[in-house]
Amino acid sequence: MPMLSALDHQHTVAPAGYSRWLIPPAALSVHLCIGQAYATSVYKNSLIAHFGASQTAIGVIFSIAIVMLGLSAAVGGTWVEANGPRKAMFVSACFWATGFLVGALGIATGQLWLVYLGYGFLGGIGLGIGYISPVSTLIKWFPDRPGLATGLAIMGFGGGAMVASPLSRQLLSLYDPGYNPANASSVASGGALVGLFVTLGIGYFVIMMFGVVNVRVPAPGWRPAGFDPATVAAKPMVTTASVSAANAIRTRSFWLLWIVLFCNVTAGIGILEQASPMIQDFFRENGTSTVAAAAAGGFVGLLSLFNMAGRFVWSSTSDLIGRKPIYLIYLGVGMVFYALLALLGHTATALFVLLTCVILSFYGGGFATIPAYLRDLFGTFQVGAIHGRLLTAWSAAGIAGPLIINGFLDAQGKPGTLTAAAYRPALFTMVGVLAVGFVANLLIRPVPARFHEPAPTAPAPSRDIPTPPVAVERGSAQ
Amino acid sequence: MTVGPENERPGSEQPGKQGVRLLLSWLLVAALLGYGVVQTAITAAKLFAR
Repeated sequence: MPMLSALDHQHTVAPAGYSRWLIPPAALSVHLCIGQAYATSVYKNSLIAHFGASQTAIGVIFSIAIVMLGLSAAVGGTWVEANGPRKAMFVSACFWATGFLVGALGIATGQLWLVYLGYGFLGGIGLGIGYISPVSTLIKWFPDRPGLATGLAIMGFGGGAMVASPLSRQLLSLYDPGYNPANASSVASGGALVGLFVTLGIGYFVIMMFGVVNVRVPAPGWRPAGFDPATVAAKPMVTTASVSAANAIRTRSFWLLWIVLFCNVTAGIGILEQASPMIQDFFRENGTSTVAAAAAGGFVGLLSLFNMAGRFVWSSTSDLIGRKPIYLIYLGVGMVFYALLALLGHTATALFVLLTCVILSFYGGGFATIPAYLRDLFGTFQVGAIHGRLLTAWSAAGIAGPLIINGFLDAQGKPGTLTAAAYRPALFTMVGVLAVGFVANLLIRPVPARFHEPAPTAPAPSRDIPTPPVAVERGSAQ
Repeated sequence: MTVGPENERPGSEQPGKQGVRLLLSWLLVAALLGYGVVQTAITAAKLFAR
């Protein structure tokens, strides 16, 4: 099977002269596709009407996908490291596209369980494998600027929803002329939903193949021109040693970083999940919101833009100021901004928008900077697998964030009657959550030498499974 | 910025072919992201047009 062997790790090693700037667009072509997961709300009402199901029953599709994202990233991380990015991206594309096609079959035949199986289960596996597939490769190609590289790729996940939302609305209008995306109560027909799912499945598969074709791993020992690894070793929180994924989860720093990611995502997801009703509730006069539904939709789009931009800008900034300081900014300044939002957010729309947009940029930045933080602490040896295990924090936060904000809001009154004051308990709780993350970040220390991989004593095997580079013991006890 | 592998290996990529590959890859990404950003900006403008 020559086609399949071309996917193997040893056939993915870059020839001499291969430009490393081909790797970010390869990674982006995957992340821009799987980022569609955050645009499911566009056709949620149409699915509810088509199946005659409840909000919860349809919401379960997304929940299954996110849980599978975390599980497949955690379980499949080591497989991705061993088999290389090309095979991982191909597998991701197959699962992601098959998920859409099985989901389309479920919609066409009126069987919701097939949508759970397709988009939720199969698509979720594609999400998890696709999310982590380019990360360690990018870090190896950009040892001088890992934050910029991973920021570029993970920016695509934020951008994917920005592409998929308007595209889905336009496709549904095309397949069902009676559907009016400007009218919130308008729903598309089942046939239009089938057409949308089939189109997205095929289209995303083709785009992801661009990534499969272009991605390469650098040859062993490769380094960019002018890059001196000694400059990396000179930084106090950056190791040149290698830590395996199995050892990483036995370190205190891994779990502190898990708490940092969990807290940052929990706080951000609370706003993301509630964004549209939140801006309407904050600006309510005599029981009626001064912000129209269409404008609230614009606010959600603006948040997506800052979520995406934050992934690139803040992650790149972390290359200059360090990972620990940048997380102190995400969490520390985030606490201040959450408090300001609770106390002053209702005074002016511009202030409300400014505060929430910066908070969401920190949310995105937190996602994008994590792989580089992992590289600093655990080395490049199995950073993709370690990243996969850390993403369980995302799954946990995906449950905790909405639970916190919805729990508080349910206690304050019914949707459509809430005001800015109703959000204060939830927002101050998020300040507390961020404070926990802030302290956890302060406690992160270099990984003790006992967790480092031993220096290789024999020549590397011919099969190009990643082998740890020469371990440099840094002798710092945790 | 000049970037490139330092170690020479056989089967090197032809510069012209790679240039086309680079151009097409970034064009695809730019088209997708550009579409998303423009569509989002159009929607977001409604927030301040009220």
